[in-house]
Amino acid sequence: MIAAIQSSAVNAAPATGRVLTVDNLRAYYQTRYFGIEREVRAVDGVTLHVDRNEVYGLAGESSCGKTTLIKTLVRAIRPPLNVVGGSVTFNFAGRDCDIYALNQSDLENIRWRHLSYILQGSMNVLNPVRRVQQSFVDFAYRHIGQPMPAFLKLIEAHLHRVRLEPTVLDAYPHELSGGMRQRVTIALASVCRPDFIIADEPTTALDVVVQKDVLSMLRDVQREICSSMILVTHDIGVHANVSDRLGIMYAGRLAEEGRTVDVIRNPRHPYTSHLVTSLPRIGDVTQKRGLEGAPPNLANPPPGCRFHPRCPLAIEICRAEHPPMVDLAPGHRVACWVTAPPIKPGALQ
Amino acid sequence: MLTIFRDLFRYNREFRIGALLTGFIVFFAALSLVSPYPPQDVYIVPPDLPPSPTYWFGTTSRGQDVFWQLTFAIRNTMLFGFAVALLSRLLSIAIGMWSGYKGGIVDRVLMSINDTFIVIPLFPLLVLFYFVMRDKMSWPLLALAMACLGWAYDARLIRSVAMSLKNREFTQQSVFSGMRTSEIVLQEHLPYVLPIVFYTTMNNMNWSIGLEVTLSVLGFTNIDTPTIGVMIYWANQHTAMVAGIWWWIFFPVLFVIILFIGLFLLAISMNEYIDPRSRLARMGGMRG
Repeated sequence: MIAAIQSSAVNAAPATGRVLTVDNLRAYYQTRYFGIEREVRAVDGVTLHVDRNEVYGLAGESSCGKTTLIKTLVRAIRPPLNVVGGSVTFNFAGRDCDIYALNQSDLENIRWRHLSYILQGSMNVLNPVRRVQQSFVDFAYRHIGQPMPAFLKLIEAHLHRVRLEPTVLDAYPHELSGGMRQRVTIALASVCRPDFIIADEPTTALDVVVQKDVLSMLRDVQREICSSMILVTHDIGVHANVSDRLGIMYAGRLAEEGRTVDVIRNPRHPYTSHLVTSLPRIGDVTQKRGLEGAPPNLANPPPGCRFHPRCPLAIEICRAEHPPMVDLAPGHRVACWVTAPPIKPGALQ
Repeated sequence: MLTIFRDLFRYNREFRIGALLTGFIVFFAALSLVSPYPPQDVYIVPPDLPPSPTYWFGTTSRGQDVFWQLTFAIRNTMLFGFAVALLSRLLSIAIGMWSGYKGGIVDRVLMSINDTFIVIPLFPLLVLFYFVMRDKMSWPLLALAMACLGWAYDARLIRSVAMSLKNREFTQQSVFSGMRTSEIVLQEHLPYVLPIVFYTTMNNMNWSIGLEVTLSVLGFTNIDTPTIGVMIYWANQHTAMVAGIWWWIFFPVLFVIILFIGLFLLAISMNEYIDPRSRLARMGGMRG
């Protein structure tokens, strides 16, 4: 068992290559009550990849499918959410594995050891009637494969990494502050040194000072254990500080994806432009203008580009056909008929 | 574990009083082991004597010493209450938590059984049970019957808590970390449910002892085994209140009240140890 851990630590060494490949993933909420079928297309045709040692940011307004997407990535789905098509492939320890092709025991071996998940509302991940140490034992002990005393030492050392005293182990969650609880959950998610961490809104409930603290800590831990990370938050400011690459989601699809600097400095999708211009800047006194309308109902999304009802640039084709993702520059992909028309012979004339 | 009890005894007034009262009753019940008279024998002491240095609690019209008779009665009543509470708690925790966690078809089947037990009128059923069993009736049998009838309300209560726990983040995290369903339910959810179980245990003992007394007073149990209810039954048979033999009824009632109060105080102070939230509330941090 110990040999297995050492080997996994060795295998984590290659610092490049893809860890996660998502291909045309579609996940729908399918319900059927009293003979009425409803299908909410929360994730519709998402293709992306995450490299080793990289933080991939995922942004978008509420109800655009961010949480559904990552639930689907870690296969933490329950009916009515179903995966309708596409694939999610992780590369752990040099082996490719399609997460939907794994059996239950393989899945459990991967989780936590290789793939960990900081849930949304992660302040409540700790059981209110269990001490912090018991939560560590409940969640992580089975995945470490070391005797209990060694495991406890490991936890203490790891807590030190997120600047927490070992005394928090004896505390109940309600005795800790929000920031401390958040750091405990980060420690909990990273204690097994996973290759991949998925963090869903890890700092939403914190004030900006603690938020910065927690984020830099998350980043430090991620760098130290050489893992990759998907960071979900609707706060573009957070992405600017933490994420290497940024994906902008709108209504269950990726609208734009690229290096964070490129996406924020030079947004190409009209939705991203609006998102970025909505950010307050020091010295900027112009009136901020809201974008008319609301995100579409995903049970009945508009035909064509899902953004077209709100898009100031919309043209005829936007109402009819969904734009494909087009590489504008290496690594900068945009799905828009107007700003990123696919290069087709004849289409540009 | 011992230090917990020591600290509770030292710092918690409810626990101290509860432990003393319950301890007193348990000690009293233990005296039945050294009783000079077998419990079923009658006319072994002069009848109808009021409390005196010789007969502390007086004697009955059937020539029994109330003191020694009461040691047997309180012992049997207490064992009866514990047996019913224990058995019905097992049922209600198992069914409530399983049903709440599993949901779906399991929940629907279990809850329709549960609701059937809730709407069945218990008293006529127990009377019927007595008439079917007649001479074979004994308190363990009655305890079993009552345990099978007494779990339904509490199972529904526990189910409602389990349903809410199922959707909390820490449950999702537990599932994600690969804990088995049994581990989630026993390790993560049970500590949350236990304070409720403690309260319902008290209620349940209260209910079962009360119902046993009712049945005994009406003569629908085995009236040869002394319990609190059976003592009152015999006192009524001999019109003790009218004849002025008040000690025959007063002492059984007093002791059963002491038992109730003692157990209740124990339960609420135990809760303080089990449930960290109520400790915080006691410090005055969470008025609400």
